[in-house]
Amino acid sequence: MLISLKDVVKIYAPAKEQPVRAINGLSLEVPRGDFVAILGRSGAGKTTLLNLMAGLTRPTSGEVLVESANLWSLGDREQSRLRNRKIGFVFQFPSLLPSLTALENVALPNTFGKRLAGDEARVRAGQLLEMVGLTDKRNAFPRHLSAGQQQRVVVARALMNQPDILLADEATSNLDEQTEQEIMTLFQQIHAETGVTIVMVVHSSYLVRYATRSIQMANGKILSGD
Amino acid sequence: MNLFQLALRNISRNAFRSWTIFLCAFYISGFALAMMLIVHGAEQSLDLANQRLGADILVVPNGSEQKVETSLLMGNPTNVWMPREVVEKIARLPEVESISPQLYLATLTNAACCSVSNMFVIAFDPQTDFTITPWLEQRLGRALNPGEAIGGMYVFTPPGEEGIKIYGTFVRLMGNLEPTGTGLDRALFISFDTAYDIARNSRTRAVEPLQIPDNSISAALIRVRRGNAAQIVSMKIEQQIPEVTAIDSPELFLSYRNQINGLAEIVWMVLAIALVLSIAIVDLIFTMAVNARRREIAVLRALGSTRRSIFFSLLAEANLLAFGGGMAGLALSALAVYLFRNLLVSSLQMPFLLPSLPELVFVLAIGILVVLAAVSISVLPPALAASRREPALAMRE
Ligand SMILES: Nc1ncnc2c1ncn2[C@@H]1O[C@H](COP(=O)(O)OP(=O)(O)OP(=O)(O)O)[C@@H](O)[C@H]1O
Ligand SMILES: [Mg+2]
Repeated sequence: MLISLKDVVKIYAPAKEQPVRAINGLSLEVPRGDFVAILGRSGAGKTTLLNLMAGLTRPTSGEVLVESANLWSLGDREQSRLRNRKIGFVFQFPSLLPSLTALENVALPNTFGKRLAGDEARVRAGQLLEMVGLTDKRNAFPRHLSAGQQQRVVVARALMNQPDILLADEATSNLDEQTEQEIMTLFQQIHAETGVTIVMVVHSSYLVRYATRSIQMANGKILSGD
Repeated sequence: MNLFQLALRNISRNAFRSWTIFLCAFYISGFALAMMLIVHGAEQSLDLANQRLGADILVVPNGSEQKVETSLLMGNPTNVWMPREVVEKIARLPEVESISPQLYLATLTNAACCSVSNMFVIAFDPQTDFTITPWLEQRLGRALNPGEAIGGMYVFTPPGEEGIKIYGTFVRLMGNLEPTGTGLDRALFISFDTAYDIARNSRTRAVEPLQIPDNSISAALIRVRRGNAAQIVSMKIEQQIPEVTAIDSPELFLSYRNQINGLAEIVWMVLAIALVLSIAIVDLIFTMAVNARRREIAVLRALGSTRRSIFFSLLAEANLLAFGGGMAGLALSALAVYLFRNLLVSSLQMPFLLPSLPELVFVLAIGILVVLAAVSISVLPPALAASRREPALAMRE
């Protein structure tokens, strides 16, 4: 199993506020090669679930395993390396580094892992930009790109280190329908071509058709899954 | 793209933050170096002047110690006299190894008699002298002949003339002493014989003759026999000969030393306050900058950057700025001190000597290290906090 969550509970306890059970005893297995769509109302715990899968937040109880390695028994260095090599991220918010060009942003994950030499990294980043249709924007800074173009750069960046898992959080919610369709098709194509496992939070049920499987969440639990 | 380049990009992006750190480092290091050079230069100058006199005790007429010290340090001549018999009296003391009298003379201001106006001229007694003579033996291989002179570092023969004219008599400059940063650098040294010759000739050659009172001297330099404390010997001299003041060498230029130490204390205090303030400012600015970049840092963590590398790249950013600012401050201040050294001497009324190159390099290295340490201290808390923050939490803000 590529990702497994066992009885995971995540309680946020902000100062001076009621604690929130964002994830409430959730278990889930994602086999290699799946394209899972996650649905749920705002506050259902979708983002928290993705963050747990990547080790970006520590579960209050329960276990998160990636390729049978318990994320929280790893030290920061191993955990970071795992994130760097195995997981690609598409965030809910704009996440390109403003001081880097599109190409540099795409190549960024290689900086932390150093699997490719500088030239090779640039070549690969260039190929990825070509794949997302932005060859002509390789030297543009994020502020000169449209929202859809930025998101495509983010997708290219997520693929830079050839990850096993692609985690995408409402990658298309800020985009118009046409662009949304383009990006979703892009994910589908990537899934078909590379076999990467995708876990994607989607904001409406009509996007489920791009995935191979969908999960409905509410109150930090899985309501149904097929 | 590597972490270093990433740091450079961030520096150019956050101009306000960058300039603040740069300027803090610039001002602190520049000010610190300038002050250190001045204080150190003055102290070294005093030490060298002491060495140049080479005496354990300086004996001057009662009440004239301030005048004499000022002359020696600032180079404006003085006119003090005491009976010559003082020398014999002191020489009789068993603790005194050698004693050598000196005459302090002066050329006139704006007078045709002399090439250099208001020059401090020191006449020494070649028979007993232990200050100039060793230098003469080493460099000239012989004593000065009548009509010859040795100058401080900045004494020169006017172009086109055969010598330096003093009360109508030309003396030939035979060499220059090493610089001390004091008035001694502008003083002229001649033998007693030459001095008396000039005085005699001046009655016919100059409008105003050079007056040397009969059987009088201006000062006497004393070497104490081994095993005797200069302080005790000078007390004894003052007891036996009430008309003189005996200054043992640690006490020499004491008022100047106190003045310098006073200045140094104020300078260090101001610097300490400025340093603490800068650390606080840089800490605040950096905390703000890091907060504004919370999300970005969280993204970097999600892409696989370790806590360690986040921490060190933030530290590197701050240190790069501090290094740049510090170097610029040090360079500019070293240059300013060098260019305005003469102005410094005249406005501070203190002797001053530039440090040697190795000394300067050493001080610069220390300065940079202090600046880097201070900046590291200021950015340590925010950098540590930023690297430890849970990425998922940081992304929400
Ligand atoms: N850092 C936090 N501190 C306090 N509460 C939090 C924190 N993060 C999330 N929560 C709470 O946990 C619950 C789940 O949040 P999460 O962001 O996972 O929801 P979501 O399903 O992604 O919602 P959306 O569709 O709006 O993005 C919400 O009630 C939210 O308010
Ligand atoms: Mg969300």
